[in-house]
Amino acid sequence: MRYITFALAKGRLANKAMEMLGEMGIFCEEMKDKDTRKLIFVNEELGLRFFLAKANDVPTYVEYGAADIGIVGLDTILEEGRKLYEVADLNVGKCRMCVAGPLSAKELLGSGKLIRVATKYPNIAKDYFYNQLHQTVEIIKLNGSIELAPIVGLSEVIVDIVETGSTLRENGLEVLEEIVPLSARMVVNQVSMKMESERINAIIKGMREVIEKRNAAK
Amino acid sequence: MNRLLHTPEGVRDLYGNDGRQKELLTDVILGVMNSYGYRNICTPSFEFFDIFNKERGTVASKEMFKFFDQEGNTLVLRPDMTPSIARSVAKYYKDSIYPVRLCYNGNTYINNHNYQGRLKETTQLGVELFNDASVSADAEMIALTVEALKKAGLSDFQIEIGNAGFFKGLIEQNNIDADLEEELRVAIKTKNIFKAQDLLSELSISEEQKKLFLMLPETFGSIDKISPIKAATDNTRAQMAIERLEALDALLKEYDCEKYISYDLGMLSKYNYYTGIIFRAITYGTGEAIASGGRYNNLVSQFGLDVPAIGMSITLDYLMIALDRQGLLPKTVKEVYMVAFSEGSESDAISYAKKLRHQGKAVSLSCVSDMEQVKENLISVSEEVVEVHCIGDDTEVKIYRL
Repeated sequence: MRYITFALAKGRLANKAMEMLGEMGIFCEEMKDKDTRKLIFVNEELGLRFFLAKANDVPTYVEYGAADIGIVGLDTILEEGRKLYEVADLNVGKCRMCVAGPLSAKELLGSGKLIRVATKYPNIAKDYFYNQLHQTVEIIKLNGSIELAPIVGLSEVIVDIVETGSTLRENGLEVLEEIVPLSARMVVNQVSMKMESERINAIIKGMREVIEKRNAAK
Repeated sequence: MNRLLHTPEGVRDLYGNDGRQKELLTDVILGVMNSYGYRNICTPSFEFFDIFNKERGTVASKEMFKFFDQEGNTLVLRPDMTPSIARSVAKYYKDSIYPVRLCYNGNTYINNHNYQGRLKETTQLGVELFNDASVSADAEMIALTVEALKKAGLSDFQIEIGNAGFFKGLIEQNNIDADLEEELRVAIKTKNIFKAQDLLSELSISEEQKKLFLMLPETFGSIDKISPIKAATDNTRAQMAIERLEALDALLKEYDCEKYISYDLGMLSKYNYYTGIIFRAITYGTGEAIASGGRYNNLVSQFGLDVPAIGMSITLDYLMIALDRQGLLPKTVKEVYMVAFSEGSESDAISYAKKLRHQGKAVSLSCVSDMEQVKENLISVSEEVVEVHCIGDDTEVKIYRL
C-alpha cells in the first residue's frame, strides 16, 4: 500500500487538525511525543504519514504531490495561489483578512490617492486594492509585526489577519475594511485525488462528518 | 565559480544516458502516432504574438517569452504547439475534404515563475486531428494516448475525461453572467464546494439547479457515476454532453482501454479554447499531468477555415520524471563499437569501420598513440562502448568485449 501523506501547518492548527482526525479514527502515536526530533511521523497500520511544515509551504508540498493532503489556513491558500483541490472547511482557526490602520486613514481607501500598504500577503493585498477598490497602491512586503508599519510611518495602512483585534486597538489602529473571512481548510493534490480516490474520498468524507458533528454541537 | 558554465533557470542540458532515453521514448511515441496515420509537421519555434493570444492559446500572455523583430512586430517563442498547427492547416489544407492527421515533436517555452521547480522549456509530442467532429475521433485520440503511454513503459496511469458542455449548458440555462461564471468555474474546478455554495446562494435560481451545480465537483469516477446526472437536467446541451461521454465510453471499450479511463464532470478548463471533451493523463510520481488534450472546434476558424479539431500532447519531460520515479525508464544498451588504430594503419581502419557500419553497427574510430595502454585501460573508454577492436601493425584484429 502506498502511504498517503499529510502536510500540516505547524503550530496550533496542526494540533487542532490532529484532534479532528482523531475523532474520525486517524491517530499518529509518534506525534504525541513532544520532545521528538523526527520530521516525519508514520502510522503503518493505516498507511499514513504526517509531517509539519511552515504554513506558507504547505500548498507547495501539496501542489507538487510531495504531500497528498494538506491542512492550512485560507490566508495561505489565497496568497500562494496554487493548483489544488480545496475540499473541506474545518471551521477552526477562524479569523479575518482586513485592511487596518489609524481611523484617519479610512478616507484614503478608494480615494484614488497612491498609498503605501504594508503586509505579509502581497498577492492578497494587490488583488484587493487593484481589483476590488481599483486603487493603485505601493505594496511593502514585511515578514512580521505588521502593526508597526503605520505607527512608525512606513505605510498608511496594513493588510493582515485579525483575530480579536486587541493588538490593533492597543496600538491605536482599527479595522478599516474586511477583505475575506478565514478558516482552516483541507486541500488535496489534484493527481492524488484521482489516483488514490477511494482512500482519499474516505478521509474527506470522514472529515466532513466530524465538521458537521462539531458544527451541530455549537 | 565559473559563470560561463551555468544555464538560466528553467532550462537544462540532456546528455549521455538521459539524452539517449529521451531519444528512445520519442521514437516509441512517434511510432504509435504514425501507426494511427499521423504525419509529421514542423512549425517555427517563434511566431507573431497574435497567433497565441486571447482565445487562441492556453498560456497567459505574461507567461510568454516575447521579443521584437526589426520592424517592431512582437514575436513569441511558442508556448503551445496547437495554434501554430491550426494556422498551418488553415493555410495548407483549405481544400481537404478528408480528415487531416498531423503529429509533431517540438519544444515549447513558458516563462513561469522562478523557484517553482518547473521547466521553462519542455518537449511536446502531440497529434492534431482536423475535419472530424465524430465521437470516434474523440475515442481515437484517447486510445492513442493510452497506447503511447503504455508503449513508453507506463502501466499505472489514468486518463480523466470531462466535457465542458455540461457546465456551459447549465450556465446558459440560468443566464449567469460572465464574471460569476468565471468564479463558479474556478470553485468547481478546484472542488471547492463551500465557495460554490456561497456564490450560488446569491442567485435567484431554483434549488434544483443549484443542486446540479453543486453535484459537479463530486461527480467523478466511472461512466456509471456520470450517466444518472442526465435525468436530473432538462437542458439539451447538458444532456448532449453526457450522451457524448456515454458514446465515447462504449467506443473506448472496443479499444480495450476502459481500465485507464475515468470521468470528471467538474474538470473545466481555464480557457474558452476547448469546446467539447477535455482530458488529461495522470500518474504517480509527478503532481503534473503528463499528457492533456481536448476538442477545440472554434480555433481553426479564427485563422479563416471553419473545421472541427481535436488534439493531444504529451509533455515528454514530465513523462520521463514519472517513469524515472517509478523505475520504468527504458534500459539503454551499449551499442558503440570502438575501432582503435595506431598511426599508419588509417586505410585498414577506415575499411574495417566501413565494413562494420555496413552491418548496421555504430562505430567510433579513434587514432591512439599507445595501443598497449588502450588494451590495459579498457575501463576508461566511453560508457557507450560495447567492444573495442584494436587494429595495429599485426594483421589480426584484436577484439575486447566490455
